[in-house]
Amino acid sequence: MSGLKASAPFQHSGRNVAQLMQTLLYALLPGVFASLWFFGFGILINIAIAISFAVCAEAAMLRLRNRDIRSHLSDRSAFVTAILFAIAIPPGSPWWLVALGILFAIVIAKHLYGGLGQNPFNPAMCGYAMLLLAFPLEMTGWHIPNEVINGQLAVDSLGIPTSPEREFLNPLSWEGFKQALLLAFPFAASGATNVSEFVDGLAMATPLIEFKMAGKSAILAARESGASLFARDSETAWEIINIGYLFGGLFLLYKKIISWHIPLAIIATIFVLAALFYAPGSVTIYGTPYLHLLGSATMIGAFFIATDPVSAATTRPGKLVYGIIIGASIYSIRVWGSYLDSIAFAVLFGNFCAPILDQYCRPRMFGHGLSSKSRRNEEALEP
Amino acid sequence: MSALKQLASRFFGGNTVFARRTVGGIQPLPFKEHSLRSRIMSTPIPQQLTIPIGAEESGQISLLVGIGDQVRKYQRLAVISLHTDGRSDVPVHAPTSGVITSIENSIVADHSEQQQRCIGLAVDGHDEALQLEPHSDYSQLPSTDIVSLIRDAGIIGMGGAGFPAADKLSKCGDSAPEFLIINAAECEPYITADEALLRERAGKVVAGAKILKRASAAQRYIIAIEDTKPDAIAALQQALQDDTSPETPCELVLIPSKYPAGSERQLIQCVTGREIASGQHPTENGVVMHNVGTAYAVYEAIVEGKPCISRFTTLCGKALKTPKNFEALIGTAADFLFELCGIEANNKQMSIVGGSLMGNELTSDKAVICKTTNCLIAACASEIATSKPEQACIRCGFCADVCPSKLLPQQLLAFSRTTDTTQLIEHGLFDCIECGACDYVCPSHIPLVSTYKKSKKVIETRQQSLECSDYWQQRFQFRQYRIKKEKEQALSRKTDSSTKPARTAERTAKALSEAADFISKEQASRDIAAAVARVKARRDEKNK
Amino acid sequence: MLPLISHWLTQLVIGTSLLLITVFVLLQINRYLQQQLKTQKSLVTRINRALPQTQCGQCGHPGCLPYARSISLGEASNKCPPGGLETILELADLLNEPVRGLDPAHGQFRDFSVAVIREDECIGCTKCIQACPVDAILGGPKLMHTVIAPECTGCDLCVEPCPVDCIDMINHTAPSISHTTISHTTPLYFNTRKLLGASS
Repeated sequence: MSGLKASAPFQHSGRNVAQLMQTLLYALLPGVFASLWFFGFGILINIAIAISFAVCAEAAMLRLRNRDIRSHLSDRSAFVTAILFAIAIPPGSPWWLVALGILFAIVIAKHLYGGLGQNPFNPAMCGYAMLLLAFPLEMTGWHIPNEVINGQLAVDSLGIPTSPEREFLNPLSWEGFKQALLLAFPFAASGATNVSEFVDGLAMATPLIEFKMAGKSAILAARESGASLFARDSETAWEIINIGYLFGGLFLLYKKIISWHIPLAIIATIFVLAALFYAPGSVTIYGTPYLHLLGSATMIGAFFIATDPVSAATTRPGKLVYGIIIGASIYSIRVWGSYLDSIAFAVLFGNFCAPILDQYCRPRMFGHGLSSKSRRNEEALEP
Repeated sequence: MSALKQLASRFFGGNTVFARRTVGGIQPLPFKEHSLRSRIMSTPIPQQLTIPIGAEESGQISLLVGIGDQVRKYQRLAVISLHTDGRSDVPVHAPTSGVITSIENSIVADHSEQQQRCIGLAVDGHDEALQLEPHSDYSQLPSTDIVSLIRDAGIIGMGGAGFPAADKLSKCGDSAPEFLIINAAECEPYITADEALLRERAGKVVAGAKILKRASAAQRYIIAIEDTKPDAIAALQQALQDDTSPETPCELVLIPSKYPAGSERQLIQCVTGREIASGQHPTENGVVMHNVGTAYAVYEAIVEGKPCISRFTTLCGKALKTPKNFEALIGTAADFLFELCGIEANNKQMSIVGGSLMGNELTSDKAVICKTTNCLIAACASEIATSKPEQACIRCGFCADVCPSKLLPQQLLAFSRTTDTTQLIEHGLFDCIECGACDYVCPSHIPLVSTYKKSKKVIETRQQSLECSDYWQQRFQFRQYRIKKEKEQALSRKTDSSTKPARTAERTAKALSEAADFISKEQASRDIAAAVARVKARRDEKNK
Repeated sequence: MLPLISHWLTQLVIGTSLLLITVFVLLQINRYLQQQLKTQKSLVTRINRALPQTQCGQCGHPGCLPYARSISLGEASNKCPPGGLETILELADLLNEPVRGLDPAHGQFRDFSVAVIREDECIGCTKCIQACPVDAILGGPKLMHTVIAPECTGCDLCVEPCPVDCIDMINHTAPSISHTTISHTTPLYFNTRKLLGASS
């Protein structure tokens, strides 16, 4: 009989996993740059710490599992997990927070379930949720250098202010970089330099401050008042960042890396729910749909985090239901729950539902499910 | 949409119609230009032909010649019967004259992986032919006659499946199908045999289509072709315009160029909008489909009286200096054809029979052309996608996006790993047409098609052994019944010895009638006689 | 919209409909499960289906169905050599038991083989015909005996009784009924329960 024969097909599209991950990283760039512009080097330092720990952890786990390190590392999935995780963590977090989270994500949420393709839960979100539950204070504070947010008065050698105007520190300057490093590695700080300021505790990683949510779009406000959209002291930061991630997401759609089902379902659900429950005068956090979509981390959640293929639902109708579940969860946890930034828990909740969605939300197969007259021979084989 | 259609008809002429979009599918690079540069060539007659006559599992082979016999061209060599009632007889004819040298197993260039029984023919070069009986005026023949002529010519589906053409036509006997579709949508890369045939002999193809329409009593007949074959389309339109017969004209439908649009069920849906239910045959839904090569063979069989002794095969691949299409005799060895194309042997990495997406590797270049070999590729290393190491499935879903049967390949893969039969069947494993589109797009380079083939085999084997055990259980229980009955009869015979003669007859009659309720004696004795005859025949066969 | 939604009537309507939907879904699930229970075959039938029906007696029982019955009553399920590993795995899965290796006291795994009689040496004694559990041997007293190969289960029971030892077990490809041998309209397919009455 035949020995070992090569099997069809003999042509391939040329796509591979490393390429997909690479394109994903490019798509993240606009949002990352926006965050860099408004909030300084914090995000880059987070990314650097996360990547280094992620790669080491992945290599160690691969060695422990007796797998070939080079071929598995080269599929860049560890990079993607690390970067998405680092973006979610507030900039200015201490290094050990980032390290702990990414170690949990890679070692426990990914490799202990079997490695790439086998994890039932989104690893980055597992890490984030673990940190949120274990270190609520550190995670709910938005560490931004005082000088960036409030500015400082220029003082002369005697400590007397020289001018009434406050100077805002450019977070992208060398001084800003040093401040960001100090935030990340607090053991390096000497003395009592008041490095950071906690923005209001409720605000956390994405300052969804109450009045912001009930108010108008900051971009429109800036246009009306004639201020620059990119001015650092305006409140347009989050909207610009989200628009950056939105562009990234649309780029992914264009490149056909992800399908439109999950993002559209999430965005539509949040939009509908926000519109349904919008109450301008109320004290609770019912904001306009626009602000729910662009004033928080929804865009990155919809396009980058919830679309992680391994843990998401895999059938097209299933993806729509998955998106609806996640969208509803994001809205409910944010509005009626105690976590303002609910993407992590919402995505994890969706991951729980994904297997049953795969089983029961299947598209109609070709030649099945036709009218009973033509269904005579469907039960040809007995299982 | 209708305005567009009108525009299309005005531009392309008459009955040209654009079909709707197909579902799923991929658009790989076609690699078709090279073999279309030249016209179809007839091959010089090789010195040795090895004519395949079918694997043993495919049916009974009745040999009509023996070793040492002198045969003439078009002479019947053997008949393959797929059913015991003589319905599906496929005769095999000698492609040229010569002497039979052997009847043994050989490698055949087809899609199965087994060897087939072949008749070796040493060609004498005279090409002495039998007298042919053409029927140029076929419009007078009744359709049953046409079907039996097609059957006698040994025509089987030339698109690759090899189903006897006469069978398909006689299946339409009860209810006349609404559509006859001639499948000219050669969507797989590298294969250009049908396109070349249409480019040069479109008139004969259209005539063949008309004969098939008559044979199947179809109401409409359509030729479906991809819209990226301009020469073939032009030739077809010319042939359709030249066709002046008063019957309903043939319709030409252009389908979007996507692989695998030419797959039977997908093409039927694309052209007619009908979706054939899984497990049903298209003829049960009023559609019958034949390949373009089959239509041409039918024309030759009826109008010229020539049985099927050759077919159009594409020879291509970068290891060949001059790739082209051949009209090759059945039984020609692959290396003979490679030589004719100027093969650079040290450049050739692999020989492939079929296209690049559904073909099989040829383990030996001595493999011979059979009636379903549509393409031989002499591939060099740069043409074959290097097999990358298989990575984990990341459930990206690209495979589900391109599957023409709308299956979920990622789920089928997961269930194949554990051979979860129930889930596999529920997810439609047996609807997979093994087109390879999922394999083509998989970023993790998982060999999906081989996995599904393996699972199908495992399930079929299990199904077979279940059938066997069911049957054995029945036989066992009948034996127990038989023994029990015999014991009862022996017992009652002992107690009733006085009225033996009359009682015996009565009892025998009673037992017979009882047994007749459950088993027909004549049927049993017929079955036994048939079994004995088969055992004898097989022994004779072996001793031959 | 908030005032509308927090109105007690809306809440009542939403709450009641959710409750009704839950009850409805639970009833459907219950109906489905009842249906499954009804159409499910008995345990003995399912165990019997997992056995290869070779009727060889290597398990110590006079056939596969008696063995299936005693398995359902607790006997070890690893006594069937012709079933191979598939049978052991399937039975372990069916009975929720750990997988055990084949009990060596009951034989060894072997490839499927069929019996072939060397006809030159056959004396026509019918001893093998009496031994065959599925009547796969054709013949009569003083007449040639032949094994009908598609019907032979490979049980090996005919080899020992033969006084001239003219039966060989030849390795064969996997068992399969050739469809030209058996047509499903043959009256050999019948209701065995009806025939054997209460003894079945």
